[in-house]
Amino acid sequence: MDNIKEEIRQYILSEFLPGETPANLQDDTLLRTSGVLDSVGTLRVVSFVEERYGIEVEAHEAGVENFDSIAAIAAFVQSKKALA
Amino acid sequence: MDLELTEEQQRLQDAAIEFALSELNDDVIRRDREEVFSLAGWKKCAHFGALGLPVPPGYGGMGLGINEVIAVMEGLGYGTRDQGLLFSINAHLWTNTLPILTYGTEEQKQRYLPRLCNGEFIGANAASEPDAGSDVFAMRTRAERRGDCYVLNGTKMFVSNAPVANLFVVFATLDVRLGPMGITAFVIERDTPGLKVTRAIEKMGLRTSPMAEVTLEDCMIPAASRLGREGRGVGIFEASMEWERGCILANYLGVMRRQLESCIDYVRKRKQFGQAIGKFQSVANRVVDMKVRLDTCRPLVYRIGWLKGQNRPATLEAAVAKLYVAQSLIASCQDAIQIFGGYGYMTEQGLERDLRDAIASTLYSGTSEIQRNLIAKGLGL
Ligand SMILES: Cc1cc2nc3c(=O)[nH]c(=O)nc-3n(C[C@H](O)[C@H](O)[C@H](O)COP(=O)(O)OP(=O)(O)OC[C@H]3O[C@@H](n4cnc5c(N)ncnc54)[C@H](O)[C@@H]3O)c2cc1C
Repeated sequence: MDNIKEEIRQYILSEFLPGETPANLQDDTLLRTSGVLDSVGTLRVVSFVEERYGIEVEAHEAGVENFDSIAAIAAFVQSKKALA
Repeated sequence: MDLELTEEQQRLQDAAIEFALSELNDDVIRRDREEVFSLAGWKKCAHFGALGLPVPPGYGGMGLGINEVIAVMEGLGYGTRDQGLLFSINAHLWTNTLPILTYGTEEQKQRYLPRLCNGEFIGANAASEPDAGSDVFAMRTRAERRGDCYVLNGTKMFVSNAPVANLFVVFATLDVRLGPMGITAFVIERDTPGLKVTRAIEKMGLRTSPMAEVTLEDCMIPAASRLGREGRGVGIFEASMEWERGCILANYLGVMRRQLESCIDYVRKRKQFGQAIGKFQSVANRVVDMKVRLDTCRPLVYRIGWLKGQNRPATLEAAVAKLYVAQSLIASCQDAIQIFGGYGYMTEQGLERDLRDAIASTLYSGTSEIQRNLIAKGLGL
């Protein structure tokens, strides 16, 4: 789980927050509702987790509930992996 | 990044210029006035290969890489006075053909690409709606899944090529509550029951490129008409925009070069007060500004090709180029009119049409304000 969070953190930092101090992107930092990720950005994160963890994200799963923080994304990835 | 065209690119560009000069300039003034699309010109473009520039030969295209496409587009922009036709080609290529090539199933590609390349099918793209323009992902057109089909309902606005199109890439939402994650793309043939090209829309410029509103009323299509996965329309839309931004701008480089050359020629020949008007510094400075604009725009456009050619993201760079080239084009069109004086204002000269055609460039494929937003975002602001 920590590993997943770390990988997602690295991805978001490098793709969407160049130059940001990693400490400012906490597990519970809001991503969607704060504007770090817009719709295009969210889709890129969705594609990233699909490829990286071999899961499929359905349209109704890609909403704010699962993609608004690193913790939420990681928990979602875990639950999908458990089902796979 | 090398700004010189390769031998191959130069050869392609020269061929495009020669083709456009000799084949695409018939009767443009009348067609512009009467808003007539040139089907004959379209077929000639198909024959030349312009309708399938980036499509692999296996599907009937020319299989060119992006840098070659940009070189050809620059040549077409230089050679033709019919910017509306070129606009239609760009809409067809980047917002219809390319998404099918990139996201289509093998069956969709086999069925549509050869016909889109050979001129049999004209492509259009329906994303904008009366209440969803810049905020396009707030669209309300619904795609409801019913068994093996989808049923679409909604109204699409500003659909370029619609009056003559055979194939539409349509964006709709599975559920407005999903927001952008509900946006899904579909390919729909014109004769599908429920799809209607309703109101033709008259416009200021690009008048030879027809446009209309499209309505979808219980338009039922098989699930196999979906383009890409459910909820992945945003990615498809954005990929189109990136290509379109890069390649439409290449046309403008051609327009700006043509205008610069004709202005240089004119200010040398036109005499007032006993001397060539180019000797007046105020006149010369306009020509200088046109030259500086062209030389600063060109690398911005070729940079998009250079990045995309290496599969690197170009969102920020495409936005920089779109913003700057569009405003430069409009400024240069105005300079050209001023340099030609009263003659420049007259329809016969073609410069007033160039300006009318150019004004749309700060609006479509994302307005200049939206490009600024994209750049600010890319800078982490
Ligand atoms: C020639 C032409 C061809 C077109 N072809 C097609 C086509 O084939 N298919 C298709 O789907 N659409 C097409 N369009 C539509 C085009 O994409 C839209 O016009 C464009 O997205 C702008 O939307 P709008 O016209 O509704 O303006 P609005 O979005 O209503 O914008 C009005 C003004 O507000 C500004 N604005 C809006 N939001 C913001 C913001 N967040 N920040 C700052 N300023 C903002 C805009 O920049 C603009 O100045 C075409 C348009 C033109 C002009």
